[in-house]
Amino acid sequence: MATSQAPTRQAITLKGSTNLVTEFFKYAANTILFQRGVYPSDDFHMVKKYGQTVLVTQDLALENYLDRILTQVNKWLLTGSVTQLVLAIISKDTRLPLERWVFDINLVEPPADSAEPPPPKPESEIQAEIRYILKQIVSTVTFLPIIDDPTVFNILAYTHESADVPADEWVDTDPLAIEASKSQQVKLRSFSTDVHRIEAMVAYRYEG
Amino acid sequence: MNQPKTPSRFRSRSDAKTPLTPSIVSQFNAVSLGSPQKRADISNPFLVRSRTASPVKRTTSAAVPQQTSSNAGVIRKGGVESRLDVVSHDYHPPRPELKRSRSTPSTRERSLSHSSAHPDRFITAREDAALPSSLSSGATAAAANASTSSPGHTARLANATGVPLNKRVLAYHEPPPASSSSNFLSAQRNIARPLYARDALPSSNGTTSTKSRRVPTTPERVLDAPGMVDDFYLNLISWSTLNVVGVALGESIYLWAADTGIVSHLGDAPDDTYVASLDFSGDGAYLGIGLGTGSIELWDVASSQKLRTMAPSSDATSAGQVASLSWFNHILTSGHSNGSIVHHDVRVPRHVVATLQGHTGEVCGLHWSPGGEVLASGGNDNVVNLWDGRGGDVGSNTRGAPKWTKRNHTAAVKALAFSPWSPLLASGGGTLHTYHTGAQVTGVHWSVDRKELVSTHGFPGNAIIGWAYPPLPSPSGSGSGTGSGTTGSRGTTPTPTPTPKLFEIRDAHDSRVLFSALSPNGEVLVTGAGDENLKFWRIWDSRDVKGKKKTVAKKEEGGARGILGIR
Repeated sequence: MATSQAPTRQAITLKGSTNLVTEFFKYAANTILFQRGVYPSDDFHMVKKYGQTVLVTQDLALENYLDRILTQVNKWLLTGSVTQLVLAIISKDTRLPLERWVFDINLVEPPADSAEPPPPKPESEIQAEIRYILKQIVSTVTFLPIIDDPTVFNILAYTHESADVPADEWVDTDPLAIEASKSQQVKLRSFSTDVHRIEAMVAYRYEG
Repeated sequence: MNQPKTPSRFRSRSDAKTPLTPSIVSQFNAVSLGSPQKRADISNPFLVRSRTASPVKRTTSAAVPQQTSSNAGVIRKGGVESRLDVVSHDYHPPRPELKRSRSTPSTRERSLSHSSAHPDRFITAREDAALPSSLSSGATAAAANASTSSPGHTARLANATGVPLNKRVLAYHEPPPASSSSNFLSAQRNIARPLYARDALPSSNGTTSTKSRRVPTTPERVLDAPGMVDDFYLNLISWSTLNVVGVALGESIYLWAADTGIVSHLGDAPDDTYVASLDFSGDGAYLGIGLGTGSIELWDVASSQKLRTMAPSSDATSAGQVASLSWFNHILTSGHSNGSIVHHDVRVPRHVVATLQGHTGEVCGLHWSPGGEVLASGGNDNVVNLWDGRGGDVGSNTRGAPKWTKRNHTAAVKALAFSPWSPLLASGGGTLHTYHTGAQVTGVHWSVDRKELVSTHGFPGNAIIGWAYPPLPSPSGSGSGTGSGTTGSRGTTPTPTPTPKLFEIRDAHDSRVLFSALSPNGEVLVTGAGDENLKFWRIWDSRDVKGKKKTVAKKEEGGARGILGIR
C-alpha cells in the first residue's frame, strides 16, 4: 500500500477541493445577489464564514434553488467536466444581461517531472484567498453601475460536450453575453486549492 | 459519460502522466499567461482557416511531435502566439485518440479545452459580438477534427457563427425564484432603501413622461420680471382673451402683448401702496387692479387710462389688501385679507353690490365658474367656499352665506379652477390634493381640450405637473349640487391612484412657482416666481389634437424669442 499512498492523498484532496470550491460558489453567489440587490437585503442574514461575516439568503426557495444547482456543479467538478460558471444578472423587464460574474475553473496540473507531489496547500491560506475574493466582490459595488431596474439572475455552467448532463434539469442556453462594445471587464482575484484554480472576473454593461 | 467505473480522479491523474499532453498544456499555459492582452487582437481568420485545413490532409500521427516542435519554434518569434495557439490545437489528429482506452480521450479533451479556456477567460463577453473567430477557432477546430468527417467545413462554420462546438452552455431548467413579494414588505423596503436606489427623482429639468406625449421641459420664452413680489397670497399675472399678459411688478403694471412681443407700461399704483392682484375682464378690454390698501382700480387697456377707483367700503383699510380678483361680466369680485369678498358692479356709482363673509383668513383664491353660476373662493383659513352667483345683485348690505364649504384642505387654498368642459372644480390647497403632489400647490389650470389639468408647485420641486383627469377609471364625482348645482368638487379626496401624473417639469423656477396663467387658446402657461422671471411653457400643444381649431394657435409666435426685459 505504500505506493498507493500518494494517489490516495490526491484523491482526498480532489474530493475535498471540490467541496471547497462548491462551497465557495455558494457564498460568492450569495454575496453577489446581496451586493447587487437582486434580492431584497432583508432576505439575507449574516453568517460567520472564512473568518468573516458573509450574508447568506434565508429565502428557502432561493436556498433550495442554489443547493440544487451546486449539487450538480459538485458532480461536474468531480469529473472535471465544468470549465466555467457564470452568474448573469439580467434586467427583469428587458431581459438584457447587465452583469456577468465569471468564475473560470481550471485544473491544476502538477509538474510532470517531479515524482514527489508538492506539499498540500494549507487550508488557512486557501481560506484567506477566498476571503480576498469575497471582499473584492463586495468592493466592486463602488465602481459597478447602479442598477435601477429590478433584476433576476441566472447561473450558467460551461461544460464539455461529453459532460454528463441530467437531461430534464439542465438545458442548453444562450450565453447571455454582453455586447463587446458596451462591456467593461474587471478581473478579480483568484484562489487555488491543490486541484482547482478558480479565477474570477466581472463583466458589466457600461455605455459611457 | 456514465461509462467510467474507475473513479474520475484516477483518470485525471493518469491523464496528467501521458507524455504528450502535459508538455502541450504547459506550453499553452505559458502562452496564454504570457500574453493575455494580445489574444484579444487576433483577427486574422484567413490564417486560422488555412492552418485549419492543413492538418486534415496529413492524418498521420507521426506528424505530431514534429508539429509541436515547429510550434515551439514559432512561438519564440513572439507576437503571433495567439494564432499559434489555434494552430497547435489543430495538430491533434483524431486517429491516435481512437486507439486509446475509452477513458483517455475524454480526459484528454478536457485538458485541451481546459487549456483553451484560457483565451476564453479574457474575452468572455465578446464571445458573440466582436471576435467570434478568434475566440472559438481553437476549440472548434479541435472538436471538428475529432467529431466530423469534414472538419475544415465545420471549423469554418463554427468560426463564422462563433459557437464553441465542444462546449455546452447550460442553465438550470427553472428560473430562480422571485423574491418574496408581499405588498407590506415591499412598501417597507421602499422606505428603507438607500437614497440612490429610490424611485428616481428625475434630474433637474428632467421630465417623467409616462404617456406617449412629450412635454417640452424648457420654457418657450423667458421674460425678465424685476421686482416681482415674492408673496404666495397675491395674484400678479393675468392673461386676457385679447392675448395680452398683464404683470404687476411691485407698484407698476406692465402689459406684454403676446402677438407682437411688445411691452408697454400701463401705469403705476398710488405712491403709498402696491399692486396685490390683477385680472382682465372677460372681453379683455379692462384690467382690474387690486391694491394693498383695499382699493380697486379699473384701467382701460387700450388707452392705458385709469377709469375709476373703487373702495370696498368707507373703512377700506380695515378690509386689507385685495389679494384676489375675478371678473364675471360687469361684476368684479374682490377677495380681501380680512376674509371678506365683495362684488362690485363696475357700471354703477355705488359699486358694492354684495359682501360675502365666509372666510376667517385672507381670500387668496377667487374664481368664477364659466357660466357665472358659482363663485369659488379659497382662503388662508384652508376653506373652500362656493357661493351662489345669482345673489350678486340683491343689495349692498346682503351678507351671503356660502352654498357649500369644503374644509379638509390643510393649507391656504390659492389654486382654484373650473373645468371648461365639465362642472368640475379643482382646488389646490397648500399640500393636499386629489393627486398627491408632495408639494405646495400654488396654481391649477384645466386644459381646454383635454381631460387634463396642470398644477404649479412650490417647495420642494418648484415644479409644473400635468395630471390626467379622472385619476381612476371610474370618475370620482363627489358632487355638491344644490340649487343650480352644477359643480361637483373634488378638491381634497386623497385617492390612491395608479399614476395620474402625465408629466412633470421639475425646477421650473429657481424659487417656488407663485403665479400662473393660461393663454386664451389654452396652449401656453405663463408662470411667475420669486426669481423674477416669467416663463412661458407650451404644455398643451393643440397640434396633435384632432379636430381642434387652431384659431388662436400661433399668435404668440410673433414675439421675439429669448430673454426680453419686460421693463
